[in-house]
Amino acid sequence: MAKKSFRKTIIAVHRDTGYFFAGLTVLYAISGVAVNHMEDWNPNYTVAHVEHSVGDLVDVSDGGIAAEVLGRLGVEEEPKAAVRMSEKEFRIFLKNRTLYVATPSGQVVDELVSRRPGFFHVNYLHLNHAKGLWTWFADIYAVGLLVLALTGIFIITGKKGLGGRGRWLLIAGTAIPLIFLLLKT
Amino acid sequence: MKRSLIFVALVIVCSTGVVLAGGGDQYGAGVTLEKAVPIDGLLANPGDFIGQKVRVDGTITGMCQKRGCWMQVSNEQGDSVRIKVEDGVIVFPATSMGHKASAEGIFEGVPVAAQVKKHEGEDEEDDKHKACDAEPQDEMIYFIQGTGAVIYS
Repeated sequence: MAKKSFRKTIIAVHRDTGYFFAGLTVLYAISGVAVNHMEDWNPNYTVAHVEHSVGDLVDVSDGGIAAEVLGRLGVEEEPKAAVRMSEKEFRIFLKNRTLYVATPSGQVVDELVSRRPGFFHVNYLHLNHAKGLWTWFADIYAVGLLVLALTGIFIITGKKGLGGRGRWLLIAGTAIPLIFLLLKT
Repeated sequence: MKRSLIFVALVIVCSTGVVLAGGGDQYGAGVTLEKAVPIDGLLANPGDFIGQKVRVDGTITGMCQKRGCWMQVSNEQGDSVRIKVEDGVIVFPATSMGHKASAEGIFEGVPVAAQVKKHEGEDEEDDKHKACDAEPQDEMIYFIQGTGAVIYS
């Protein structure tokens, strides 16, 4: 009787915790794959480059380069900053956009940075850039995952449960990271 | 019903946290030193600062576009120093170019030859990431092994 009641409880806990955290699990899974492959791509931003030629800037002083280049490109935005990086390069910083200006030739590389739709937001949560109260919720989620794992083990009885196939799957799933750690560390 | 309402309330509270926390521009441990070392001074006499914890203030003029694992901070004259952070531990946002920033960490220098060797055999495509550790200054590469930063909006 007590056994039945215990199983009923863990099934209920597993079910409700699963429902509650299903959405976040999907988001974290998407982000997990995205950040796993950081070597191959930037999971948060796309960076595009466009080249322009605005004509020579021989007679333009450093103080006037930003206004001159922006004027010739037809950009009305006020720059955040403008810095001469070297004798041959001047950088103009706009919102999510940087102009790399070769001087005095006037060749411009226009770099546009934009958030990768969807991924930026899920990574923002997954990597806890939000901090603050999100840290607490993410901790609660971690506990939730622990609850899901522990209750999940005991849901099924019999041949497909811990007494049979479940046991081997549990051992295999636990062994893989352990073996990997043994070999790699 | 009551339980469901509690869950929903919890979600709303946490979501609010996301919005409220959005104003924070601190990365890693932020900055703890009150006084910044002028970047030109740092580069003029690097030997005086090697191994020391330093803070620099300036404009963000460069950024690791792949992983956000370094940023370059410059003064108004274009003197620049790179702040290298551990991959994935601190991630500088690519949209911070041109923003004012303060950053601190341990000032370090490595011989150029060692740096070239470290990156031997890497793909050419990774060039932008390769330059994680600062540009050559004479025979040494100097950079700040960053512990934290504050990026101002």
